Amino acid sequence: MKFDLKKLDTYAENTWCPGCGNFGILTAAKQAVAELVEEGYPLNKFTLVAGIGCHAKIYDYININGFYSIHGRVLPTAIAIKLANPELIVLGFGGDGDTYAEGTAHFIHAARYNADITMVVHNNQVFALTTGQATPTSERGYRGKSTPEGKWEEPMNPVALALMAGATFVARGYSYDVKHLTWLIKEGVKHRGFAFIDVIQPCVTFHNVAPYVRERMYKLEEVGHDPSNFEEALKRALEWNYDLDPKAKIPIGIFYKVEKETMEEGYNRRIPYYKVERKVDWKQVLAEKKII
Amino acid sequence: MLWDDIRSVRRSVLIGGQAGQGVAKAAEVLGKILVKLGYYVFNYRDYPSLIRGGHNFNVVTFSGDRVFSHDERGYEVIVALDQRTVKTHLPEEKKDTYYIAPKGVNIPRGENIDTSEALKEGIPPIATNVILLGALAKYLGIPKKVALEVIRSELKGEFNEKAFLYGYERGEGSGGKIGRIPRRGLYFLTGNEAIGLGAIASGIDMYIAYPMTPATPVLHFLAARKKQYDFTVLQLENEIAVVNAALGASYAGAIVMVGTSGGGFALMSEALSLQGMSEVPLVVYLAQRTGPSTGVPTYTAQADLLFALHAGHGEFPRVVVAPGDPAEAFERTMEAFYLAYRYRVLSILLGDKHLGESHYTMEEGEFSPRVKPERFLVFPEGDYKSYEITEDGVTPRSVPGAIEAPVRATSYEHDEYGITTEEGPMIEKMMEKRLRKAETVREAVMELEPLSVYGDPEADRVIVSWGSTKGAILDALGHLSGWKFVKINYIKPFPSSLFLHEVEDARRVVIVENSSTGQIGKVIAMETGFITEDKVLRYDARPFTPEYILRRLRG
Repeated sequence: MKFDLKKLDTYAENTWCPGCGNFGILTAAKQAVAELVEEGYPLNKFTLVAGIGCHAKIYDYININGFYSIHGRVLPTAIAIKLANPELIVLGFGGDGDTYAEGTAHFIHAARYNADITMVVHNNQVFALTTGQATPTSERGYRGKSTPEGKWEEPMNPVALALMAGATFVARGYSYDVKHLTWLIKEGVKHRGFAFIDVIQPCVTFHNVAPYVRERMYKLEEVGHDPSNFEEALKRALEWNYDLDPKAKIPIGIFYKVEKETMEEGYNRRIPYYKVERKVDWKQVLAEKKII
Repeated sequence: MLWDDIRSVRRSVLIGGQAGQGVAKAAEVLGKILVKLGYYVFNYRDYPSLIRGGHNFNVVTFSGDRVFSHDERGYEVIVALDQRTVKTHLPEEKKDTYYIAPKGVNIPRGENIDTSEALKEGIPPIATNVILLGALAKYLGIPKKVALEVIRSELKGEFNEKAFLYGYERGEGSGGKIGRIPRRGLYFLTGNEAIGLGAIASGIDMYIAYPMTPATPVLHFLAARKKQYDFTVLQLENEIAVVNAALGASYAGAIVMVGTSGGGFALMSEALSLQGMSEVPLVVYLAQRTGPSTGVPTYTAQADLLFALHAGHGEFPRVVVAPGDPAEAFERTMEAFYLAYRYRVLSILLGDKHLGESHYTMEEGEFSPRVKPERFLVFPEGDYKSYEITEDGVTPRSVPGAIEAPVRATSYEHDEYGITTEEGPMIEKMMEKRLRKAETVREAVMELEPLSVYGDPEADRVIVSWGSTKGAILDALGHLSGWKFVKINYIKPFPSSLFLHEVEDARRVVIVENSSTGQIGKVIAMETGFITEDKVLRYDARPFTPEYILRRLRG
């Protein structure tokens, strides 16, 4: 049955800059939810978690369950939601400052825990809502108000990091290729385990890399990449280190995909806790400490 | 004189040795044997922050009457597993303190047990603690049969029974006789165990933590019982992950608690404020230890009171409840859950190392929960407002996936549906909704005995305290006349009028607190305008004893 996309709209005023890369991610996320609902996923089980930053406004713009968390903490929040209720389809949305700076520890461990959630990182390589400071993924030489002479250190490569940390689904998307990103998000949701999607998201105001990316981008699925091959995945991940090297090639698509036991399985979680009726007799609970 | 006074009603045994020699276990077993015989026992545990070596000791204080505290000198018996125990505690002995030690440890008086035959009888050196426990039982005149029952249920390995008998048979047994007192309904447990049991009795679904002394025993205790009661115990990468995970799980419908100490609590503070805005129920157990910073990590303090009251930016309601013994810890844990889930607030259960790791003897009737566990959920059909503005400030809570409508939680100021707002009138309405909720919580707390009074209710000299000082104060109170003890159970919301009523005609009001500044005095001044500068404080990282309090009050 055709799902009416309007059902996902809210009355919130959209406050992103005109032309913002976030619109592409919003459209792809909504489209992915709509198509998944058409495939039989229940709409009321979709639950999004957002961090803080431009990306996070997505919480206000999709009419599904949502937890507007704090900066850097999307992943622990999302993982625990899944453990408390494994029936929920949990979508995390984070920024690059959010996920790769403030919340780096959570990112590495989330890859290892392998909870069945999907994490979409709006990677505009800049702190945009705080007016343009460098983030871990900004290229060397990026000039923001906090780095007027240019960022000194090398960028972080989150795709390579996710692979090394043990993520079971590692992908990269591009926010202006909505169709491709919609497919990636759906694949992420369908993947049983931690699905990580780094989305290159040009920031029209502070970091517009659209011309750079467009010219160098190619799709992994079009070059016969085998996503089950870890070494190949790592090689592809290292093709672009997030610097704006004119010679770089930028692969998008699914780098790596493998099935492993999920966190919910490891913790033997099946029934949502809110459905569990506990009839605990406090006197019986205390009995173990009764001596006479 | 003071000493004779205290010793006339209780007896104390110190057991000391290196970490790894089984000092704590021997003391716990002795405690259980004595409780089984109908005695009231308090078991204090003192240990430095190391795993092997050093000096650990326990003080087991017992009596035929109630006892809630230990002594820090004048022990009747010192059981010394090593020479250092003798040396360390020599200044604390009385002139006839009796020593029990293995052969080779020099003691001023008492008996040395020759353990050289033990190995031949199949008793490994690790059981030397049990051998000495046998000799101690003989000395105190504990019936062998009762002791063996406890040994069998508490200590794995047949050699332990042999070890006990080895010591019992070689012991001199000159200390008298301990008969059975016909009593029923006695419990022996620590504050941490009581908090774990209180969480289970509250229907906990998930306990989430990162290891930190002295809250770690709750993590271990619950992990050992998660299968029996079918709940999840989750250890995450740091306390920030822990508290945010707790909020995520609670939002999704789980009954959750986290546990930590000062440093971990500091890491959690940002998310406490998120609790305030999102109104996702959260229960935090804060087990205080000696600060500032890493401080003295395995010792006690009550110096995080103001921190617990104020941690988190912005203004939002919270509950801070401080149990004084394991029976209270059990009940107050249940209340912390009840208040958090019924009113969607932050409940902080404020304990410390002394309450958490000491064994107390409690009577059956002292466990009387005032609340019943419930999830407090609604499942409306159709429209649902996650932050509906209500008269009492409390929005009925639903969970995502349980109803058709979206359920939201947010760190931003929001409208009734949880959509972000920056509009002045809506911000004001939501702030006032949360203020009304604080008032609703205050009314609920006033029904939960937020303040207790012990001793002579007409007395005009008043000890004011909270939390784990209860035991030493109660035991001191028996040696005082003209005094009462006002214990503040709920520090937030503060029972102002009840408190003022207790001190209005007082000649003397003394604050007793395990801190260097007397923080409860500041709270009282802030909440009620009542000021007292009369304080008995202790900040050497050790808990109070009755003798300490009496000396300071009389001096």
